[in-house]
Amino acid sequence: MIMIDGLVQRIDKKLQRFDPLWQAKRGIGGLRSRYNDKTGVAKYREWRGIRDTLYDYGQWMKNLGSMTVMVASAPIPCLKGFWEYRWMGSYLGTFMFIDRLFEGYRGYELRIAHHNMHAIVQSLTKKIALVLSNDKRLGGGPLSDQMIPYDEVLPPLFLKGFKDLIPIPLQTLPEFIICDIDQQLEPYYIDVAESFGLPADVCSRCAAETGVAIDDAFPIIGKAFLTTNMPCNASEATSMFQRRRVGLPDMPVTLAMIHNEPGAHPYSTQMLKDTIAFIEKEYGVTYDWDELFKYAKELNEQNTIELEKWEFMKTPYCALVGIAESLYRLYSWASVNGQDPYFTKTDRKVLKLITKAYDEKYEPFSGKTRHRAFLWGPSAVYYTDFPTWAENCWGINIVLNMDSTMGHNQISTTDPEEAIKDLALLSEKATMRHHAVGGWENVNAIWEWAKNFNCDMVIFNDNVSCKGMNGVHAMMEEQARELGFHFIFLEHDLEDCRTISRRDMRKRISDYMSIVLNEKPLDPTLVDFDDSEAY
Amino acid sequence: MKKLPTFLSKIIKTLLITALAGFAVTFTIYMTNAENKLIYYVIRPLLNKHYNAQVRDRRV
Repeated sequence: MIMIDGLVQRIDKKLQRFDPLWQAKRGIGGLRSRYNDKTGVAKYREWRGIRDTLYDYGQWMKNLGSMTVMVASAPIPCLKGFWEYRWMGSYLGTFMFIDRLFEGYRGYELRIAHHNMHAIVQSLTKKIALVLSNDKRLGGGPLSDQMIPYDEVLPPLFLKGFKDLIPIPLQTLPEFIICDIDQQLEPYYIDVAESFGLPADVCSRCAAETGVAIDDAFPIIGKAFLTTNMPCNASEATSMFQRRRVGLPDMPVTLAMIHNEPGAHPYSTQMLKDTIAFIEKEYGVTYDWDELFKYAKELNEQNTIELEKWEFMKTPYCALVGIAESLYRLYSWASVNGQDPYFTKTDRKVLKLITKAYDEKYEPFSGKTRHRAFLWGPSAVYYTDFPTWAENCWGINIVLNMDSTMGHNQISTTDPEEAIKDLALLSEKATMRHHAVGGWENVNAIWEWAKNFNCDMVIFNDNVSCKGMNGVHAMMEEQARELGFHFIFLEHDLEDCRTISRRDMRKRISDYMSIVLNEKPLDPTLVDFDDSEAY
Repeated sequence: MKKLPTFLSKIIKTLLITALAGFAVTFTIYMTNAENKLIYYVIRPLLNKHYNAQVRDRRV
């Protein structure tokens, strides 16, 4: 072992001049040096030292394996999917996407990031194969009528009480997750929607979903559709467009928005009961509470582990960082929501690694972090690797993202009446619903969160088309000043990279760091570059 | 009886050579970022050409 260590060290020393972090430290290059201009295509992959490069290579092979299994399990539906749907072509950018997310990652943070990422890849590839194999637009399959298409911001755990049915978040595959991977895709669907007169200043998520519906790019599955409410005109409009286009019997699952008020919970509880009755009627099935409890136990364990992770995140020695944390939590909570035990196993493994790193007093990114930031508000979906850039360029560690604070209450696994109340509370605290639109008290909760996680900085995502949040600008700025936080409003257009580009977003941060804080970048090659033609 | 160890060693040798060749090929693809270059410069432009030529019924 000592001999191998010695050999690795010698080789690493010989090859260190290819390591972008080493280059940046000496001012002779950096993480951006290996890219072709604008395209985001790297000339070669990042050299991270022997051990980390081989580890990254191993994970690349593992993800490639999942994709091969996906195609092999449903070759014809996958080919038809690639031929029929523009969004399927965008999934080819997945490898480039993963490379972007974990640039500059080494040691424990790299290992944890890949554990989380592979959980997403294996789940997503299975889901794509399943949906395409049963998509009625492509010929259908044996499970077509056993699927329940539902709105992606509705937590699906409560639907697991239907033993033989498969809940599928309808918008996730063609719109939400794929926008993370390819920034060029959604503008096409937005243009489709706007060509029908939809105003250009509505939330681009809603516009993109409408475009996907009009372009007939949603897979057709199931016998009935569950839509939901969000408190903006655009969101309600897109639900209406989708229900007309999808053409299935539908049920709007309208949950309480201002959910801190006690009167809200009985309303949301009744709404879930009505939804269960609707599915029973439309699909001719009976709800099985024992089946629900089985999956509720999975989510309960995942939420328990999540709270343990938070304790580590409050220290400088947490190797679960940035996008590796937030993307995983968003997917595992909103899309999986206790349905896949693989995520519980991943959580257990990751917690072990976090604990080991903490015991060794391991600081991620070689201890170069200068600021601990809380990322608040809905993030730009077309700039998923923003936290990675912020850390590598300016040493800003995005400790936690607003989306990661979604419902973490426990669900009763013995009493149906209690369980449905717990599920209502969980659903009220879902993606965006919880903080961005849950009332002033929830928006304003940022200061408490930032303080609890020992952050000195708050980066407030500002979706320029979100009318609700536009009203809080000045109030947030005043409070930040009063409480002594470094505070940056980060403008973006959620899914439309043409309005505010990734480059514009970087400039906003760089200006604050250099003009207001008078700091120098850790990697000057990352300060300003053009990636407008990148996925 | 002597044939068995020879046969086994042949299999092991073939497996090792295959694994080594497999590693050499895949690691070269990985390091040179070859799969992403192929996707970005060849496959996606062809697919986009097909998608742009699609006639879709968008009547509302």
